[in-house]
Amino acid sequence: MERHDFAKPGEYTLADLMTVAASREVNDNEVVFAGTGMPMIAIMLAQRTHAPNLKLIFEAGTFDGRPNVIPTSVGDPRCEGGASRASGLCEAFSIAQRGYVDLGFLGGAEVDEYGNVNTTAIGNYLDPNLRLTGSGGNPDINSFARRTVFIMVHEARRFTRNVSYITSPGWRVKKWPSGEFVHRRELYGSAFRGGPSAVISTAGVFRFDEDTGRMYLDTYHPGKTPEEIKGLCQFDLDISRVKGETAPPNYDELHIIHEVLDKEEIFLPKPKKS
Amino acid sequence: MSSQSKRITLSEAAEIIKDGTMLTFSGFTIWRRPCALIFELIRQKRRDLHLVEVNSGPHSEFLIGAGCVKIWESCWIGHELYGKYGANLSRKVKNKEIIFEDYSHAEMGFRFLAASAGMPFIATQTSLGTDIHNPEYDMLGRAGLRNGKNPKIARKKYETMQDPFYGDGLQILLPAAKVDVAVLSVQQVGEEGTVRIGGQFFTDPEVCRAADTTIVVAEEIVPEECLRTEPRLNTIPSFQVDYIVECPYGAHPTGMFGYYDVDGDFIRNFYMQTRTQEGFDEFAREWIFGMDHTAYINKLGVDRLVNLQASRALNFSTRVKRGQK
Repeated sequence: MERHDFAKPGEYTLADLMTVAASREVNDNEVVFAGTGMPMIAIMLAQRTHAPNLKLIFEAGTFDGRPNVIPTSVGDPRCEGGASRASGLCEAFSIAQRGYVDLGFLGGAEVDEYGNVNTTAIGNYLDPNLRLTGSGGNPDINSFARRTVFIMVHEARRFTRNVSYITSPGWRVKKWPSGEFVHRRELYGSAFRGGPSAVISTAGVFRFDEDTGRMYLDTYHPGKTPEEIKGLCQFDLDISRVKGETAPPNYDELHIIHEVLDKEEIFLPKPKKS
Repeated sequence: MSSQSKRITLSEAAEIIKDGTMLTFSGFTIWRRPCALIFELIRQKRRDLHLVEVNSGPHSEFLIGAGCVKIWESCWIGHELYGKYGANLSRKVKNKEIIFEDYSHAEMGFRFLAASAGMPFIATQTSLGTDIHNPEYDMLGRAGLRNGKNPKIARKKYETMQDPFYGDGLQILLPAAKVDVAVLSVQQVGEEGTVRIGGQFFTDPEVCRAADTTIVVAEEIVPEECLRTEPRLNTIPSFQVDYIVECPYGAHPTGMFGYYDVDGDFIRNFYMQTRTQEGFDEFAREWIFGMDHTAYINKLGVDRLVNLQASRALNFSTRVKRGQK
């Protein structure tokens, strides 16, 4: 087998597939904001494959890092390996607000058809069924970056018609004080740079039509069907633009993930030998 | 202040923080949080604290679980990969036992930046269109606390205006995050208060200047002249620090760049155990009450601390087990 041959089912995990899909969202020379976990591995994988000149930013305050040991969080000393500067989060968010950031990777508990994401509370905010972490930098990165990619578990309750609380802004957002939904471009005005560009779930890869702001299915993961995925969304998912299956990892990518980046199996356990 | 007068004990430091204090901290999530001082506050049964902070972590989960906190004003609480969310905050929110106010992380950072520079407010374009700006969700306002009685609680959660100078559209104006006390957990402080932080300094310089009183809890108090030979390496000048405490392992179970790594097992066990109040109370009996910091360190034991010890070359531990391998 050649390094760039695609791995076969059973030779990679669903998490490997998602990580590689996330990695392929990164273009060379881009400034990329990384969150803890799978996004870090995806970006560090891109750094070692097709995007060697990407500039990696960690929210807590490390810039242009080239770590060779995977950090367990963005405050970790391991973030600082090979970095050009380590400082703090006011600088990180100033850089982001100034417009340097091309791409950010984020997560969420719920997402709606327009890419609005909730990480704050499930149910009524004032009387929640479950209080979650809160926003962190999710809305900030999503407001400032040109593109954001969300990585999520796919369940019908998570791909919802209305998120309980808009933590992070999608393509159609609330205009206060009335709360009416308007296109993001209208609200952000001259601060508009873009918005959510993809959602990578455990079922497929989704993108957004920038004019309507609606999510559509781009690729489905091996073993899933577009109809099955449509059934896993509370909203009416557009599956008319689907391109085919999500490309699986190749052997080179699997080697980098499991033998170079996450040898300790902190975030991505190795595929079980069948 | 003369040099010697800044040096106090952990217990004296906790006594400076009275019931009802508006309090903030150094660090970021599971790194450099002043846990030893927080355990002492819990032992002294402090009540009605108003925490104002950037991304939070285990330190505030300790205080919240122990019933010390009346108001949590922040943007995030959790334990990174060692616990999905702040189970104690979550429980108290569900039971309506705490007032919470949500901003975004950049908003909290910029609010401290404003306070640190004496600016009453700051303009930003973050989080437009989100429920963070839902007028119904001004929680301090709902609690009747934006009435001007406390000079450090803003009369509004935020304000909006069109940029009057460049015509650059809608701006969110945020009130400066003014606080009574900042507690910093750092690597080194000089006898006169000069702070040298190793690695990322997070929002430590900003929260220090935003506070009326700053207490620095350091792994080591070092001779001031040692820090003054290379001032470019220092983070905070001496006169911004009011009190200093020497406390080795003062941030455990959070990590200290160059000194010790995050104690992930400790934090994971805490998260799992304290999803109920009974579980928290049991944790507090085992790890907080009936001991001082020296007893806590002894209870952790040499093996555990050696395992967490950071490599002098790499600034993190190469011995600590982080994943499944």
